[in-house]
Amino acid sequence: MILSNVETVPGKQITNFFGVVSGSTVRAKHIGRDIMASFKNIVGGELKGYTELITEAREDAIARMVQEAESLGANAVVNIRFSTSSVAQGAAELFAYGTAVTVE
Amino acid sequence: MDPFVEMSVRLGIPLALLVVTYFIGTALERRHYASIRERESRWRNLPAITIRSIPSHWQVIECTLITGSVVISVDYFKRFLAGLRMIFGGRVKAYETLLDRARREALLRLKEDAVERGCQAVVNVRLETCRLANARKSQSIAGLEVLAFGTGVKLLNVP
Amino acid sequence: MKFKPSLPEDGINVSHTHPLREALLLVGGVVAIGAAVATAVAVAVDLAAPHIPIELEARLFSGWIDRGVEDDGAVAPRERLLAQLLNRMARHWPENPYVFEIAIWDQPEPNAVALPGGVIAVTNALLESVESENELAFVLGHELGHFHSRDHLRGLGRGVAFSLLLVALGVGGGGSAVQLASLAGRFAQRDFDRTQEIEADRFGLALLAAEYGHVSGATAFFEHLPELDGPLEGAFASYFSTHPLNADRIRALHAAASEMGWALRGERQPLPLLSPAR
Repeated sequence: MILSNVETVPGKQITNFFGVVSGSTVRAKHIGRDIMASFKNIVGGELKGYTELITEAREDAIARMVQEAESLGANAVVNIRFSTSSVAQGAAELFAYGTAVTVE
Repeated sequence: MDPFVEMSVRLGIPLALLVVTYFIGTALERRHYASIRERESRWRNLPAITIRSIPSHWQVIECTLITGSVVISVDYFKRFLAGLRMIFGGRVKAYETLLDRARREALLRLKEDAVERGCQAVVNVRLETCRLANARKSQSIAGLEVLAFGTGVKLLNVP
Repeated sequence: MKFKPSLPEDGINVSHTHPLREALLLVGGVVAIGAAVATAVAVAVDLAAPHIPIELEARLFSGWIDRGVEDDGAVAPRERLLAQLLNRMARHWPENPYVFEIAIWDQPEPNAVALPGGVIAVTNALLESVESENELAFVLGHELGHFHSRDHLRGLGRGVAFSLLLVALGVGGGGSAVQLASLAGRFAQRDFDRTQEIEADRFGLALLAAEYGHVSGATAFFEHLPELDGPLEGAFASYFSTHPLNADRIRALHAAASEMGWALRGERQPLPLLSPAR
């Protein structure tokens, strides 16, 4: 599966397009990590637990988006975008979406 | 207060609320999914893509901004589950259907808006989410807003 | 570039665990954690409580109870009578480090509590319900038993330490989770409470035997007292209550008395007038 966040896959030609495919996920870290982060927040710096959380969420969302594209028979997702929200405190919610296409 | 009554109130009311909201929430969700699936297959022929450029063989008469938005929330039972899940970490499964439903509903409303305006396709679709209902008290309402927007095009030759 | 109308597979973006299964797993986890933390706290407090100096305890907790001192500074007559009885009982505990004080509370439930700093509070309802001096002496002896093993500090410490931990957790977690954990924790700690009650009963019984030469009246209080647990019954009541059921306590007292060879029957002393009207 080819993923790109531009209109096309450079060097290839889009032959068919299907429509929007997307992946979404909500993830949280365990409470110990939340408490550590609140301490770290006092002095500042990278909140490693939350960096990890966002990475996991992004990978999760992309994997699901790819799965949707595969189910359509596509071989690439172009013009991918991300969007986040916050339903729950301390949880990461992520949308990944793009257009499923076949390229040659 | 009588200890039995006190305990019944302290345990019973939330427990009853959990049971009731579980059944109502599940039924509502099932109904929403049925509607989503039905409408998705009805509008499957209308292309909505995140690509900005319009395919070269389309002959565009007119274009306009198209939007679709929705705010939904989950039931008390799922909020309870999510609250417990925050302790252990991992996928907050209770909220996954909330995101899924909100996104699909917003995209459907986008397509329905396009149909209403006589468009045959939507290009450059974007999704935005925000926490709307939740601004004041951190955990009282878990509402999610999803806004889908794009450019609807009226075509001379229907794809 | 051709459009192919089709729909992606349904259900990719949601997990397919049944919500009830998820609920069972999470609730079980929270209950287990709550119970484990509460037990650890209780054990730690039990180990620490005997090492808190009496002077420190007295300094921390003195002056926070209404001791029934009348306007002219004299101790009210009922308090004086109770204090006399209390001192007679305390004589049989020679290494007693406390200076005891009596407080009478105007509350509808017959009850007595040992408070930090050496204060024993009894309710008016209790004073009205007791029928002999022996019975009252046993109640006071029971409270002395709590001071003897510093239960008042342990009970307080367990509750406070566990609550503090929950508050710390509550900063990160959901409200319902904290409530669930606190409920589980209190169930886990109730065995500690009950053991204390039984032990205090035994201590009170020994003082009673030493004072009167028999233990008549020890169980009377429980016999005519309605079950504190109200309409809760049977195993359910015994599971939820922090105090052992009255029937269980009476049985334990009888067993202790026959083990030590203390006579269950004997002449009971009449009670000095104690009701508030007089």
